[in-house]
Amino acid sequence: MSNGLLEREKSEPRPEPKGIEPQVGAGKRFAYKLKIALREPTTIVGILAAILFTYLIIVPIITMLSDAMMVQYGDERRADQNFGELTLYYLHRVFASPLSVDVFWRPLGNTLSIAIGAIFFALIIGGTMAWLLSRTNLWGRKWFATALIVPYMLPAWTFALAWTNLFKNRKVGGQAGWLEALGFEPPDWLSYGQIPITIVLALHYAPFVILLFGNALRRFDSQLEDSARVLGARRFLVTWRVVLPLMKPSLVSATILVFAKCLGEFGVAYVLGMPVQYEVLATSLYRNISSRQTGVAAVLAGAIILIGVISLLIDARLVKEGKKFVTVGSKGSMNRLSQLGKWRLPATIGAGLVFFVSVVLPLGTLFLSTIMRFPGVFEASNFTLDFWIGQNLDTVALRQGILFTPEFWAAAWNTLWIVGLAAVTSGILGLLVGYVVVRTPVKFVGSFLRQVTFFPYLVPGIAFAVAYLSLFAVQRGPVPALYGTAAILVLAFIAEQMPYASRAGISAMMQLGKDPEEAAQVAGAGWWKRMTRVVIPIQKGSLTTGVLLPFISGVKGLSLVVILAVPGTNVLTTYSLQLVDYGYDQAANAAVLMVAAIAFFGTLLGQKLTKSNLAEGLGG
Amino acid sequence: MPNINLSNIQKNYGGGSPNAVENLNLEIGDGEFMCLLGPSGCGKTTTLRMISGLEHPTGGKITIGDRVVDSVSDGIFVPPEKRELGLVFQSYALWPHLSIENNVDFGLRLRKIPRAERESRTTEVMEKMGIEKYRKRYPSELSGGQQQRVALARMLAVNPGVLLLDEPLSNLDARLRLEMRAELKRIHEEFNTTIVFVTHDQWEAMTLATKIGVMSDGELQQLGTPDEIYGAPANRFVAEFVGSPPINIIQLADDEAGGLSLWAMQFLTRRYAKIDSLGSLGIRPETVHVAAHEIDVPDDSFKARSRVTGVLPTGGSWIIELEVAGRKIFSVTSELPSVHAGDEVYFWVRPGDLHLFDIDGNRAPQADLVLTEVGLVK
Repeated sequence: MSNGLLEREKSEPRPEPKGIEPQVGAGKRFAYKLKIALREPTTIVGILAAILFTYLIIVPIITMLSDAMMVQYGDERRADQNFGELTLYYLHRVFASPLSVDVFWRPLGNTLSIAIGAIFFALIIGGTMAWLLSRTNLWGRKWFATALIVPYMLPAWTFALAWTNLFKNRKVGGQAGWLEALGFEPPDWLSYGQIPITIVLALHYAPFVILLFGNALRRFDSQLEDSARVLGARRFLVTWRVVLPLMKPSLVSATILVFAKCLGEFGVAYVLGMPVQYEVLATSLYRNISSRQTGVAAVLAGAIILIGVISLLIDARLVKEGKKFVTVGSKGSMNRLSQLGKWRLPATIGAGLVFFVSVVLPLGTLFLSTIMRFPGVFEASNFTLDFWIGQNLDTVALRQGILFTPEFWAAAWNTLWIVGLAAVTSGILGLLVGYVVVRTPVKFVGSFLRQVTFFPYLVPGIAFAVAYLSLFAVQRGPVPALYGTAAILVLAFIAEQMPYASRAGISAMMQLGKDPEEAAQVAGAGWWKRMTRVVIPIQKGSLTTGVLLPFISGVKGLSLVVILAVPGTNVLTTYSLQLVDYGYDQAANAAVLMVAAIAFFGTLLGQKLTKSNLAEGLGG
Repeated sequence: MPNINLSNIQKNYGGGSPNAVENLNLEIGDGEFMCLLGPSGCGKTTTLRMISGLEHPTGGKITIGDRVVDSVSDGIFVPPEKRELGLVFQSYALWPHLSIENNVDFGLRLRKIPRAERESRTTEVMEKMGIEKYRKRYPSELSGGQQQRVALARMLAVNPGVLLLDEPLSNLDARLRLEMRAELKRIHEEFNTTIVFVTHDQWEAMTLATKIGVMSDGELQQLGTPDEIYGAPANRFVAEFVGSPPINIIQLADDEAGGLSLWAMQFLTRRYAKIDSLGSLGIRPETVHVAAHEIDVPDDSFKARSRVTGVLPTGGSWIIELEVAGRKIFSVTSELPSVHAGDEVYFWVRPGDLHLFDIDGNRAPQADLVLTEVGLVK
């Protein structure tokens, strides 16, 4: 028993030298690899999914970009080129012509100034609230932690509608605003345009900052502060030199994500900007689509996508660098609460005030407006349920309460089934993508799927809608023109929600790991049995989340449907926007309240079902 | 019970990484309790997973019983679910959505065993593993040791000919580990299975295995019984990996090593014919004896003057730390040592206890070592 024990057979020559094996061997070797790759449906499913998402995500955007470079139908004379020819006409028109100021540059300036203002106020409000909620002994912290997130669960333009209800003046028709009814005519700058849009967006995105920044603060190790204090730094200095620098990555992230969201924001700017011709990129895009300027719209959409991509790339880079010094509490870390002392009461009142302004006031205004004949008059005779359940009302159209209006129910039904179908589909697809990404032996299929499903995240909804319009407005090959059908909405919703769905699916599958499935495999279960008996039952919870999140965000979404929906496929959001356009404020408010209710209670339900904080999931 | 044969197995994870398993030949006999032992990343788990079919070799052939389950050059591959093996994961991988009972009868259901038989079989296995009383509970309600038993029961229920265990004890605390070790030995006898067991813990391997395969860097270093592995390590790696405290290694012909190396060379020159081929000398700590006076040292032993730098009790035995010409030598004794830190003593080793390694680190033929000086002079 010495060297003989070595089984390595060093001396024995291998049957064939590496690399130059006979052709037959190579063929068999390939057959072996193929057998393993295709033995299970995983790879096939992955390839099919990759094709599907290429068609649903990449192709529309490419079609749109090509629209921006080719003469569109009806523009032959103006472009002085033939239909379908390559042209720089649209680029010139958007960026360099005399019109460009109105089409692009001024909207861009407005978008930027609104975004910067909204970010500024959202950071101040959200940052303060995040600190109060996660690091102090504020009264009712738990309650506030949920209550202050509520604005983010509601559609942004709910607040815009509430604002007009309160502040609108004689500039537009319809019912008088509350202030006006109380005898005070608000000036234009308070009623419409930049200031209200900025405030509304700041209130809407403050919860986003609370979520991101609060998370970082909660994980911050108090011992880091303590060390600085022990070394003699005063409280203010500690905050300035230790806490804030460490919080930088989360602040930068919040800033850039809010910016990206402001970029595609349509509803708020539409409701509050249109009366004074205050345009942002999204509304300019919308106007060009409405006036059938397809080429110009395509250029604009491309520009919005580009800005979105750039800002998120900056975020990715900054966060990556920032990660290096993010301190996640390790062993012995602690999160000590600051004692507010005599500031406890004022701080709590402050938080209450934020809640009042961002939730109670807007929702209350909207609700009251639907049960009062004239705003601001608190007399018993002024209250009515006519706008909800009235019959034979004294109006030109909409002669009955909203609950007796067939269009409302049609829109509600459309919302439920279109968004519902899309949400269920994207939830399942998300889990499937997660499964393929984590399991496929063919690595590039997985990484392609991961990236392609993430891409819509970089594309604001309104730009994505334009891309869909480009692809599906006419018949292409075997695919009929889908514009005007519900199918285009379902497809667009699925594509738009894939980033969240696939991220949920991937992380769920990562968390599950391979072991439970492999255990089933060794126990004798084939692919189908493993999916139905092990993987899906275990993932029930995350599948629920993966369906519910897209559903909520789809129900309250406006910018995608405002382009793609037609009267036959109205959903609640577009229906209420039309009611706004026609001046049926109470009916519009009622419809919006329904959307808000669905979004809010849907989130709560999801939280109950999955025992998690879904609001955080909405942060993406 | 089938035997398992791996021939010329090679595994590369691609992406320019070195081979995870390199030209591995291994025969696991019928009814054997085989331990694959090695540090993390040595390819032992990969090997186990290739046997199970969850991982695929890039070259070579695997046979279980008389069935070829993997043959790259013939394009043969039998999927894991058709190999009729049992595999217990390090994480246990119990299905969290199924009760203990349903975890255990999962395989039986797949095999469409009639209900009555299934129930009696499930109950029998659960009783044998002492988890019968938890049958309605869910995995998250059990302790680590109980989960471990469920994981074993789940695989034993279908009565596999081969049971593969991937570091099954590493997540257990010391006392439970001892208990499960005994349990595994019992299972091996009672269920009459071939067991392949992967571990990085030498004591686990030593106490459980009928045969140990030591692996490093994807290559099999030595295959043998526990006593062979410990008593006649095939190379420096095996010698240093197995044993605690680790074997004392004296580098020969190494100017840096100083006096000790010179003495060793002197000692060997008179006893070993092919002295030039030797690279190093290994001495197990328990074969290092300490004597207060030179007169107590037997003739013909390898000896050196040294200073005691510490006596560390380890409960039932003591580690004596010695320093010789700037080098540390460890001695282990089971008798209360009479020496103290600071004492000048002699340490000595019987020539038969020396492990010799050649320049490449492989075990040099010990038979060439002449045990007494006189023998050579003759």
